[in-house]
Amino acid sequence: CVGSFPPGLFFSLFMRVGTAPICAYGQAGCHVPSLADLFDRVIQQSSRMHGISSDLHSEFEQYFLPSKNLIGKRKCHTYGILTPDDKENAQRLGREQLTEVILRLLGAWGDPLSQLYRSMSQDQNQDFNHYSSNKALEISDMVHELRDGVSKMADKMKLLGVLGNTVGYISPEGLVPSSAISFYKRGELNSMDHHDLLYCFRRDSNKVKNYLRILKCTTLPGLDC
Amino acid sequence: MTVCTRMRGHLGLALLLLLSAAVESNSMSPPGKPVLLGCRSPEKETFTCWWEPGSDGGLKTTHRLFYERERLEGKHECPDYRSAGRNSCFFDRDHTSIWVDYHLTVVASNELGNTTSDIFKMDVMEIVKPNTPENVTLLVMKREDNLYLHVRWEPPYNTDTKSGWVTIKYELRVKQEKSNEWKEYTSGTETHINLYNINPGTLYAVQVRCRLDHGSWSEWSNSTSVNTPDYPHNEKLFWILVSMLSAVPFITAMCILVMKRKNVKQYLLPPVPGPKIRGVDVQLLKRGRSEDVINALIINQSFPPMVAWKDQIEEYLIVSDDGLLLDPSSSQKRKKSLIIPAGFHLDLGIQCKEPTPVQRDLQKAEERKNEMDNFVKANTSLTEGNLSDMEPPQPPTQKQLFPIASFVKTTDQSPSKHNSAAENTVKPLANCGYVDIQRHENAKEVDVIEVDYSRVKEVSGDNILILQRGNIPGYMDIQRQKENIPEDYSRVKEVDGDNKVLLQRQNASTDSSCREKGNHYTDCTNQKLRNPHVTGPSKVGVCTELIGSGYVDTIPAPPLM
Repeated sequence: CVGSFPPGLFFSLFMRVGTAPICAYGQAGCHVPSLADLFDRVIQQSSRMHGISSDLHSEFEQYFLPSKNLIGKRKCHTYGILTPDDKENAQRLGREQLTEVILRLLGAWGDPLSQLYRSMSQDQNQDFNHYSSNKALEISDMVHELRDGVSKMADKMKLLGVLGNTVGYISPEGLVPSSAISFYKRGELNSMDHHDLLYCFRRDSNKVKNYLRILKCTTLPGLDC
Repeated sequence: MTVCTRMRGHLGLALLLLLSAAVESNSMSPPGKPVLLGCRSPEKETFTCWWEPGSDGGLKTTHRLFYERERLEGKHECPDYRSAGRNSCFFDRDHTSIWVDYHLTVVASNELGNTTSDIFKMDVMEIVKPNTPENVTLLVMKREDNLYLHVRWEPPYNTDTKSGWVTIKYELRVKQEKSNEWKEYTSGTETHINLYNINPGTLYAVQVRCRLDHGSWSEWSNSTSVNTPDYPHNEKLFWILVSMLSAVPFITAMCILVMKRKNVKQYLLPPVPGPKIRGVDVQLLKRGRSEDVINALIINQSFPPMVAWKDQIEEYLIVSDDGLLLDPSSSQKRKKSLIIPAGFHLDLGIQCKEPTPVQRDLQKAEERKNEMDNFVKANTSLTEGNLSDMEPPQPPTQKQLFPIASFVKTTDQSPSKHNSAAENTVKPLANCGYVDIQRHENAKEVDVIEVDYSRVKEVSGDNILILQRGNIPGYMDIQRQKENIPEDYSRVKEVDGDNKVLLQRQNASTDSSCREKGNHYTDCTNQKLRNPHVTGPSKVGVCTELIGSGYVDTIPAPPLM
């Protein structure tokens, strides 16, 4: 389970993946994770991230009748990122583009989630308990880790030749408006904004999870697919 | 007047009612509001929505579903009203998009008007609920005499679990026929499972369901059942044979026991021996005349008091009633007092007693271990002490001699103690001051008659007991008898050194005889001389010093260990 996998180790492993196979703590003879291992870890992480965001969102649903959303059409700040919206489209997209989409999505959420956490922990309203704001922190951290992990995995895929070189490391700034949060609201976020944010993130994390799995099964078809 | 208006009012009301009823029965009205019940996607690629129509208003009413979608312009209508049945809308792959919001409405329309339902918002991501797994098969398998159930099934219809688009997870539950409780197991992504903890001879029912990602669980599949076989009969036969075979020796054992029950009874419950008097014939007692019985009893009686006394812890010191036996020199020497032979079993046995002072003295005597090289002494003055003032004999015989030592106190003790002890211990003596030196166990058979008893008249000094010369009933007789003493009693003539007692050979019944110096030495001295190598505390005090009547039992003592 990825949760038991210390983030630092995860990070350092990915850092060294592209270079000589040195294990994180320098143990002699420890094996470098294979691409399949990397996929598994990444997929587990994304699945967990989606689960937590779903929990958080349903907690919000208890407090807010989504009246506003029913009438108005919600827009997420990542709407600019074109994502395949069904299976065929995702499969047709190709590995490189799929990887790029994944990285874009993950990159777009780093900052908004940190802000969400900050806003939630400062919330005077106290609608959420400490547990909820911890969850927000957790997904905020996870999204950063996942982005780094996927990019390292992409590097490994390039190394192995399964991925073309068209995918570069994409910096988040180039993809989304610099102040993603301001997309939702100028100024301080309130609970309603939290709810919108979480709704959008829940969806995007589900996309990431699905895309990663498609990527894995097209790259390494096996029993798990 | 009022009655009339009231009646008119009533009539009007009735007419109105009739009219409305007429209108109603004949009228058509716009349809009632339909209600969207929900939508469901079985594989995250298509979905279906259902609605509940309202009243139809008496006219033919049609329902249409419209939707608006994120990232899609305009309002669209349901692509397929048929595939999913009545009052449903089926969205095929081309019309299904994930991660976008659909806003659905159903419009019921008839000739009179339309009625629109509430907007139903959904995202396909949220409505995933798969079909039930297919072809659940249940088999009873056996491996190495272990029964287990093998359950196998297939993925739900039309669900793509191969491309990674969805990850399916299965769950099954098992129930025995008698109980109502289901036991659940998760299977992960495998489509088969083995259940090992099953009982034979039971009907088992199994159901399977599945789930895609974190979506809803499907319905349980139809129950599949199977019967597990009973224990095979040949096993029963085997056990019957075994029990029969083991019963045979058991039965034989019982027969033997029954036949030999007398022996068994004797072995287990041996008869308790009845009382038996030696020399008395039980039959005689039963049958005989009284004279015969009495004669038998008397003749056979031998009265061996010695035997009886042996068990008793009695110790008697024979002391003379004049202190002149002792040399003045010897009286000063503390060490020359009663020499108690090692073999003597000097257990204390004053008949009437205060045990506690005696025991106390015992302990005190034990403390004086270092003074064990002293002999027991007879004291000369009453005030100084009493019987207990005698010093305890030597260590090797310590254990045996302790009881006498209880009589004995070391002279080092404070006078006060002496006095108090004297008082304590004199008392019992006053009551029954019998002192006897018990015969040694190894002693040759001596007549009981040789036991000497004398009553202590007074205790003088540390180590002298003054015995009464008077008539002590019973015992005195014995003593007198003793005066015709066999050769192994002698009077102590003098004490010489640490370990020598010079005895007179003559039997003396009077004091004067005590003073006679004999020409012979007693056996004991001879004996003493014979064992020159015995030195020090290990010396056997073969003879005991006698005060008073002056008889010394010269039974040779055994060598000291």
